[in-house]
Amino acid sequence: MPDSAVTSLSSPPVSGPFPRLGPWALLMNAVAYPLLVLWTLLGMALFSPGLLLWKLVTRWSTGRIMRHFIWIYGRGWLLLMAPFVRFRRKGFAGLDLSSPVIFVVNHQSFFDTYCMGLLPVFDVTFAVRSWPFRMVWYRWFMRLAGYLDVESTSWEEIESAGRAVLDGGGHLLFFPEGHRSRDGRLQRFYNGAFHVAVASGRPVVPLCLDGTGKLLPPGRLSLRPGSVSLTALAAIDSRSFAGENGPRELRNLVRTRLAEALAEQVREGRG
Amino acid sequence: MTEQQIVDLIDSSLAEEFELDRAAMQPEANIYEDLGLDSLDMVDMVIVLEGAFKFKIREEDAIREIRTLGDIHRFVTGKLQGAGALD
Repeated sequence: MPDSAVTSLSSPPVSGPFPRLGPWALLMNAVAYPLLVLWTLLGMALFSPGLLLWKLVTRWSTGRIMRHFIWIYGRGWLLLMAPFVRFRRKGFAGLDLSSPVIFVVNHQSFFDTYCMGLLPVFDVTFAVRSWPFRMVWYRWFMRLAGYLDVESTSWEEIESAGRAVLDGGGHLLFFPEGHRSRDGRLQRFYNGAFHVAVASGRPVVPLCLDGTGKLLPPGRLSLRPGSVSLTALAAIDSRSFAGENGPRELRNLVRTRLAEALAEQVREGRG
Repeated sequence: MTEQQIVDLIDSSLAEEFELDRAAMQPEANIYEDLGLDSLDMVDMVIVLEGAFKFKIREEDAIREIRTLGDIHRFVTGKLQGAGALD
């Protein structure tokens, strides 16, 4: 499918004026942010004794423990939001996650990373741009977790670090659009995730995240109740994409699959 | 390869890779402000140019000085001229 056709398959735009917030949305906004701050402060307070305890009990590396803590933090956020947002996870039953994979997720909202608490695995290293590392309250934990800063690090180092993560048994996660979509449409994909996939020979698992663009679109602060789904699409064997153009072909295939999945979500939503 | 063929190949390769509007691809267009590319795209741009012209440029410092599409045209033309691949 040509790129132009892919672009036409997308979620409905979420830009434009929002309708007035109803009482339930007002309540959500009144409690969700304070609860998130409290949950974050609690996590910070428990971090040191938790790290010591996990080290003694599990003997895991600090990075693996931090990734576990971050996953638990995400699960906690899902729980806090559960009265206002219906979270669903689909497509993971037939997926083999016993070996490392590269997750590739579409990006619509600041809260997309929190939604990765929906993943059934915790040892996931995020590859992100520089700006999340500038959030002082998260930066230190991200560094300890071994998250990859794809913007400030040379590509050779990213590829090497990514392969080390996969060889160590962990999963990698990329947001290949690089930015949150401003209108709900799937954007152009960067190639980085697909170079790592082809170089490592590990499968790519496209994840279709739907609903966060309505929960909190870019440029807005007010939350809206709704539903969010994280759908795992069939894994793609990156070993079939060797050759000079392999990463680009893999990128185009993943983008097509995600665009089709998003379009399907839209049809289901309207149905 | 003529200079015009080089320019055409650069423009078509970049347009395809980055889904650029060909009308906006003027030599004076700033690749960041006018064409909407960013630092991450520079890695992909190097790979695209290496694939299109079958040379290696990723280690060259001059790439960091590129600001406009015309800079890319001149950089690639100079590189091919140095290699004797220009008609």
